[in-house]
Amino acid sequence: MTSLTITRNVLRRISRDPRTVALIVILPLFFVLLYGNSFSGSYSDLRVAVVNEDNGLASVRTAEVGRITLDVALAEAFIDALDRNVFDVAILEDPDTALASVGEDTWAAIVFPKSFSNTVVNEAVRASGERKTDFEGDTVTLLPSEATDAPLTTLVLDDSNPLLAGAILKGLDAAMSDVLSTQQSSMTADSLLDVRPLYEGRIRVLDFTAPGIIGFAMTLITVMLTAMSIVRERTGGTLTRILIAPVSAWQVTFGYTMAFSLIAIFQSAELLLASTWIFDIRFVGNAGVVALVILLFAVGLQGIATLISTLSKNEAQAMQFVLFLLIPSIMLGGVFWPLETMPAAMRPLSYAIPLTYANSALRKVMLTGGGFADLAFELSVLAAIAVVALFLSVLSMRRQAYTA
Amino acid sequence: MSEELVVRAAGLRKRFGKQTALDGLSLSVSRGDLYGLAGPNGAGKTTLIRTLCGLLRPDEGKVELLGWTMPSARVRSQLGYMPQDFAIYDDLSVLRNLEFFGELYGLHRGQVRERSDELLDLVQLADRRKQRAGTLSGGMRRRVSLAISLLHKPRLAFLDEPTAGVDPKLRRSFWDHFRRLSEEAVTLVVTTHLVEEALRCKTVGFLMAGRLLTQGTPDEILEETEASNFDDAFITLQERGEADS
Repeated sequence: MTSLTITRNVLRRISRDPRTVALIVILPLFFVLLYGNSFSGSYSDLRVAVVNEDNGLASVRTAEVGRITLDVALAEAFIDALDRNVFDVAILEDPDTALASVGEDTWAAIVFPKSFSNTVVNEAVRASGERKTDFEGDTVTLLPSEATDAPLTTLVLDDSNPLLAGAILKGLDAAMSDVLSTQQSSMTADSLLDVRPLYEGRIRVLDFTAPGIIGFAMTLITVMLTAMSIVRERTGGTLTRILIAPVSAWQVTFGYTMAFSLIAIFQSAELLLASTWIFDIRFVGNAGVVALVILLFAVGLQGIATLISTLSKNEAQAMQFVLFLLIPSIMLGGVFWPLETMPAAMRPLSYAIPLTYANSALRKVMLTGGGFADLAFELSVLAAIAVVALFLSVLSMRRQAYTA
Repeated sequence: MSEELVVRAAGLRKRFGKQTALDGLSLSVSRGDLYGLAGPNGAGKTTLIRTLCGLLRPDEGKVELLGWTMPSARVRSQLGYMPQDFAIYDDLSVLRNLEFFGELYGLHRGQVRERSDELLDLVQLADRRKQRAGTLSGGMRRRVSLAISLLHKPRLAFLDEPTAGVDPKLRRSFWDHFRRLSEEAVTLVVTTHLVEEALRCKTVGFLMAGRLLTQGTPDEILEETEASNFDDAFITLQERGEADS
């Protein structure tokens, strides 16, 4: 019965704290809704560039009338067959522009050679034997001809995201199969495509997820440590003592920020070294760029943590608020599944999460060796978050004295 | 003693939800005064001190300290505050606690050392300077807290129950020190619910339900309440306050 008394007392105390009760009720629902909505498993808006140089004609031998020219326009059929739910297709004129866009603003570029239709039809006949087709009102029999060294279709693929690269190949394959089926061929797309992965398939799923995991670990440790430390200083009364001394809220905030930034940099160095040494995580970029990303990210996180500490009466509440940052970060920050797989409705939430930018920046540096210029967008957003968060934490630091 | 007013508070009102903590309270303290704030538990002593220091914003009313309207950043270097909770770092040594807060007040190392020695002698913790604050007894931690509050030689200090949990002999030496500071024109506002401590003040204010019921020298309060001792005077004041409300 003593146990029951203790149980009752625990439950009674929790029920006296409306914020804790609300969190207990809301958190699981929040978790499920986020997961269900963020992970659709399907991709959308994958931008690919297509250059169609195919003249659409196929020259084939026949049993009846010698060599004929069929107008089949297979590249065009292929482009039409691309699933627009998955792909955002940009039709370009210049092959060089298209190929150069990969890794910049497209995930893949396909260049159909002039002889595409010709190659496909002849290869199909060679692979499946002679077949009949309609030609100018008559039925003719297509005959296999000698194999030629016609150029293949070039596909340049950004494989920095192996999950995405896989999805792109799958989508292109489906379109190609559609086209080949019109030629009654059992050929596969592979035999027609000259696939050139930008990173030669050297980026594994582990490499791809590592930057996000490192960023997530930083979020977890930095926010938790900062929020808890400040709440503890406040509940212990030492923060009041600091704030009543002749120091400004700026000085106090910077003091904390520098301390926790040093810790964050140390931790991320540890995370990076451990993951590159133990798991051989790909790191081809500049460590200085990574340090800048981490510094800006850490400062922003601390600002958020300071705000959380202002909103929390005690450490338990701070902990729960931290969860409200952590759960969306891991689900929506693009760590495990790319933003491209998220329903459009959820993406604005992703863009509101600092980890999204840190993850994208770290990925660019670590996986593809991106420099300051490649990271301009991410760095500016992280810097803006850091400045706003610092400013708000100075304001909230001023308030801390009154809530102490 | 100069008649210069170092604390001037007028019409202070502060509510916490339905609870009125300060009910239109006005208070003046002269330079060099040793002002005792007395009153039963929940009278509003701590709220008053926190409001005077600028740690709580009053709903109404105005506070002036050392001639500056609060909240004022300029007054802070001359202000000492000892909160009711210990408000020290349990994981740091006694000396490190003093050093940290001393440096926040702009004292350099030498000054901090010198002042720490003086104050650790006063609070009789000189032999514990290297000990972690968290391993000290409650009374000792309060002594560390007092030392921190006086480290930077404030001209005006608010001490919230500085002697709670401190043994009688040491308590007496604290009050001797407070008297000495007061002779040096340092103004001290000290809360207490101990009658014997109120007697050692130059001025006593009796607080109840957020109002200042009376204020005067201990003798004046005895006279006013027609009591033979201070215990009776307090009870009379408290009953008077209860009858009023």
